[in-house]
Order: sequence, then C-alpha cells, then structure tokens
Amino acid sequence: MKGKRMKGFSLLMTIAVLCGLMLTVPAAAIGAGKPIVIGGSLPLTGEFAETGQWIERGMRFWAEGINAKGGLLGRPVEFKIYDDQSNVGKAVTFAEKAITVDKVDLLFGGYPGTAARAVMPVAEKHKVVYVSMGGHMKSFQQGYTYSFGAPPLMGEWWYEGFFQWLATIPANQRPKRAAVYTINNPVGLALQDSIDRWTKKLNIQVAINEKYNSPLADATSMIVKAKQMNCDIIFANGFFPDGVTTMKAAKALDYNPKAIVQGVGSVVPAWIKELGADGDFVFSGTSLYNKLNYPGNDKLNAYVKTKYNLDGYPLYFGFGYAWMQTIEQAVTGAKSLDQTKIRDWLKTHKVDTIAGPMTFDKKGLPAPINFCTQIINGKVELIWPKNIRTKEPVYPKPAWKK
Amino acid sequence: MDSVLIIQSLISGIMMGMVYALLGVGFSLTWGVMHVIHISHAAFGLLGAYLAYSLLQYFGVDPVVSAAVSVPLLFLVACGVYQLLIRPITKAKEVIVASMILTFGLAIILENVMVLIWKADPRVLTPTYASGALIVGPFYFQYPHLVGFSLSIVGITAIYLFLKKTYTGMAVRAAWQQPEATQLYGVNLYRISMITFALAVSTAGAGGISLALLNSFEPHSHNLWLIYLFLVVIVGGVGNVIGTAMAGLIIGVITGLSMAFLPYQWVNLVTFGLLMIFLIFRPHGLFKQGV
Repeated sequence: MKGKRMKGFSLLMTIAVLCGLMLTVPAAAIGAGKPIVIGGSLPLTGEFAETGQWIERGMRFWAEGINAKGGLLGRPVEFKIYDDQSNVGKAVTFAEKAITVDKVDLLFGGYPGTAARAVMPVAEKHKVVYVSMGGHMKSFQQGYTYSFGAPPLMGEWWYEGFFQWLATIPANQRPKRAAVYTINNPVGLALQDSIDRWTKKLNIQVAINEKYNSPLADATSMIVKAKQMNCDIIFANGFFPDGVTTMKAAKALDYNPKAIVQGVGSVVPAWIKELGADGDFVFSGTSLYNKLNYPGNDKLNAYVKTKYNLDGYPLYFGFGYAWMQTIEQAVTGAKSLDQTKIRDWLKTHKVDTIAGPMTFDKKGLPAPINFCTQIINGKVELIWPKNIRTKEPVYPKPAWKK
Repeated sequence: MDSVLIIQSLISGIMMGMVYALLGVGFSLTWGVMHVIHISHAAFGLLGAYLAYSLLQYFGVDPVVSAAVSVPLLFLVACGVYQLLIRPITKAKEVIVASMILTFGLAIILENVMVLIWKADPRVLTPTYASGALIVGPFYFQYPHLVGFSLSIVGITAIYLFLKKTYTGMAVRAAWQQPEATQLYGVNLYRISMITFALAVSTAGAGGISLALLNSFEPHSHNLWLIYLFLVVIVGGVGNVIGTAMAGLIIGVITGLSMAFLPYQWVNLVTFGLLMIFLIFRPHGLFKQGV
C-alpha cells in the first residue's frame, strides 16, 4: 500500500517537474520540430563570389532572426547551400538536386541574372516557388507562375530614375550627345532599353552606340572616340572590371563629360574602396538601398556596422535578406509549405520588405522601381525619387583631379 | 578613319600585348624546355599582383619596387613546388598530360588560398600614377601602360640575356635541344629544370603586376589570363623567347587595329580567331620552336 502511494507520489512529482521544465523552455524550443530546409545554390567561388557571399550573409542574418523568434511555422529554418562556382549550368544542376534529391522545403534565389533566369524554368517544372532577382524582363515574360522578383534586378528599369531626374534639369543644361558602350550579354542589353526610350524623349543624340564582349582588356579607344565626338554623357553599361577599366582610361585621357552613368559595377562596395575619389560622381540605378525608410533597414545597417564595420549594408546583403523576407511572409500567410498555396498567397497579397511594400503582377513582378544613385564623396547616395533623396546630385561632373 | 584614333589604339594595343608577352614568356619556357604545360602559371602571376597590392596598401610600396620582393619570393616558392610536385611527374609517360592535370589542381588550390587571404572582392592596383598619362601631341601614353610595357621589356630582355649569355642559360638551351647529350656533359637536368621552372614563375609574378596595373583582378582572374598565355605562346612558338615577345606585339597590333576599325564586339572574335587559325595552319607558331 505504502509502495503504491510512493509510486503515485513519484508519478505526480515527475509530471510536476516536467511541467515546470516546460515553463522554463523558450517558446522556440516548444515549436522546434523538424527543421524547414531552404536549398539552392549561390556563386560562393568564381567570378561572382563577392556578390554571392553577400547574398548568403543576408540570408543567414534573416535565418538568425527568424530562428530567434521561434522559426517559420514554429519550426527552425536551416539552409542547404551549394556553391555553383559562378557557373550557370551548375546553378541549374544544384536547383534540380535541391528539389528532387534533397527534397528541400523551399528554394532560395540565386545570382547572377543569368543563373536566376536558368533556374526559373526548373522551378516552374517542379512547381516550386522561386523568389529571386530574376534575369531581367525577358525572364519574367515566359509565362512562369512560380517565379517572383522581390525585389527583382531589372536592367530595363535600372536607369529609369536617372532619366526621370535628368528630365528635371533645364533642357539647355542637359547633355547633348551620348556615347553608349554596352557589354554584350543579357544584363547589358537590358540596360539599353531605358537609354533608347529616354534619349529620344530628352532629345539626346546617341553619337556612339557600341557593344563589346567581355573581357574588356582596354578602354582607351572607346574614350578617344567619345572625346573626339564631343559626347558629354557616357553610359558604361557593364560590370565592375570593365567599369574600372573605363574610368581609368577616362581619367588618364582627361575625358570630362557632364555625366558618367555606369551599369551594375559601381554599386558594389569594392567600387568606392578600390577607386577612391576616382569613383566619385558616377550615376547608377538600384532596386534596393540601405537608407530607405522602410522597416528593417536600420536593423540591417546596425548589424553590418557591428559585424563588418560598414556604413550601410551592401546591396546584395539586402537582396538576400529581402528575398527571404518575402518567402517568410508567404509561408506564414499561406500557413503551409505547399508550394501552390504559397504561390497563390503571393499573387494575392502584399509583402513588406526592406525594399518597400510590394504586390506582384501576373509576371511575378512588383511595380517598376526607379531609384537613382550617385557616388558622392565615397558614398552611394540616393538622388531619385526626390522625396527620398539623401544628397543633392552633383552635376555636371567636376573635372578629374590630377 | 581618324589617324589619331588608329595610332592611339595601336599604342595601347602594343603596350598591352607586351604585358601579355611578359606573362607568357615563362609559360613558353616551361612548356618548351620541360614539356610541362603549367596551367597554374597565371595563378602565380596573380599571386604576384596580390603581393604588390598588399605591399602598396599596407606599406605604400610602389608596384614596380614590389616586383623586387615578389620576383625572388616566387622564385623560391617555385623551387619548392618543383621539388615537391613537378619533379615527380617528369618521370611520367605522358608528361604533358600529367603536368596539365597536376597544375590545374594547383591553380585551384592557389585560387582558393587567394580567396582565403584577400577575399573574393575585386581589387585595383592604384599607385599615384594609376590614372595619369604622358601626353605627346595628340597622343596619350597612360603611365600604367608605360610602366607595364617597361617591366615587360626589362623582363623579357633579362630572360633572353640569361639564356644566351650565362652558363646556366646555355645549359637550359642545351637541355631543350639535346637532353641526353647535355647530361653526358655533366649537366644536372633536374637542377636545370628547377631553375627554368622557378625563373618562369618569377616572370609570371612580374607579368601579373604589369597586368594588374591595367585591369582590376580577382582570385579567379588567372583563368582569363591563361587564355592570353596560350595565345602568345602558340602564335610565338613554344619555348621561343623572342617569338613570344613578337607574338605579344603582333597580338597588340591586331587588337589595336580591330578596336579602331571594327565594332568592339568583334575584337575578341578577331583575336581568338587568330589563335584558331594558328592552331590549324601553323601549330608550331610564327617562329621556330626552341629557346
């Protein structure tokens, strides 16, 4: 009898201790089930490694935050990230592997646009939601229903903000003749779209309009031509290496147009770090900016300041974070990992990201983004739209300091 | 066609071509003398560029002066690499194939070491004269081009004189022409090969610095540089120092003229089309093979 009482007492004590323990366990651990695996590939080595590594850092920062809050749908998240070595073919292979072999719960966005563009049909084939930068407008015109750009990186929109700002300059102060040098790949060709439209609209004569293939070993003759033809604006529609080669030649040959507009090379941190004052006053575009007044940007800026001693998060850190924010809201909104439910939720709801609120059209794109940046005193400043301007633009460009 | 544009394009093209020649001369030597196709040659050149970058950033050392540090340093490193990796494979039945596979692996290792040390970020060598130019009439001689060109002339001349005027250099040439007979004269072939390999790698260091003065670079840039190496060596003839220099000049002239006369998107097509033509019709190059 006594033994039975003792047994009952022990049982009660065990239950009480367990209940007590449960009260002390964090909420995150209660919901901690099997982790949600988010897979795919990034260029962690090779040509696009710098950018790929920043995207990964942005994604991991998001994961730290979501896991600290108790996870996604109450489950912790973890990544399965393959290194595609900046190779589009490998990016496709790893996307296939992540979906069919690893059977990941969610797919994350890749880089660059050529890789994202190639992964989009894979995502469509397997009916898996793919939130990425996309591969410019053409990739979003293929009728895919599972791909979203949140935010996208659209060459077609890249100079939109620059031209909108230029239109506000009195006509007699605008450039008259343009030299356009474009890298012969999907990114460069996409950049030409807004140049074609706006130069006609603003009555700027395109005196030179040439394409070049990568690598651009030397830009001397390009600058000589632009100088000889009195081009007072130059569009260097390329990446970092060709951008640097062009800037060095422009300075060496003392070419001083009213404006230098550079493609996607001048918004990476290395531009300012490596070129110093020679990288100043260059205009470019962006789809995201670290001084935007949307929730989350301050948190990201504080993090990169502490962790990497940077004043403002790099663009691609923000991209990685924003894509994951979108997935997070879609999964939470759909209350499911069912890909079609996630897709349908995204098609019908607004998401709030560090790049601003977004709703998506049939193509999976938000409304056009028209930010224009200029490097001023070694900082990327937002100069358009005017209501969110961080610095007055410097125009015309001051002559080179010798 | 504007004569200023043509001459300016030629000036830049020739200077750039000579930089490729400096980078390629060592590649040509190891291929010619040792039958080793050294795929990591450009990666060693890139290492030279990174050393120059760090010396400039942290100690303010001019890239040309830094060559005085990186060239001997790479010579020593190359001696070690030869003893550890290259020498064992010289006994292989197919030295060329074995060397390509081995040094391809070495290039990947070097690339990753550079990523670890210098990160994947692109770098730009910016000494005070980085964006300056010597102006002669309507022509601009960009200082980085001039410095790279001068380094190339000095480097290639030094290699040429070494091969022609020194005992070791003559032994290298003899080893290329008659290896067995050279051994009979008491020449240590392994020692000669090690010196050749180390010398080649050191010139790669100087070539890397010259090229880095002209363009930005990243840890994977050696893959691109390697294409130019093949170009100068195949056009110039394997193992031929003067041939490599001439090939650099020819490629520079063709690139310069293409940039002046053709749409830019054709320039690489013309340059690499030239490589294909040589491979088909003159696989031994414009000049006689040999050192």
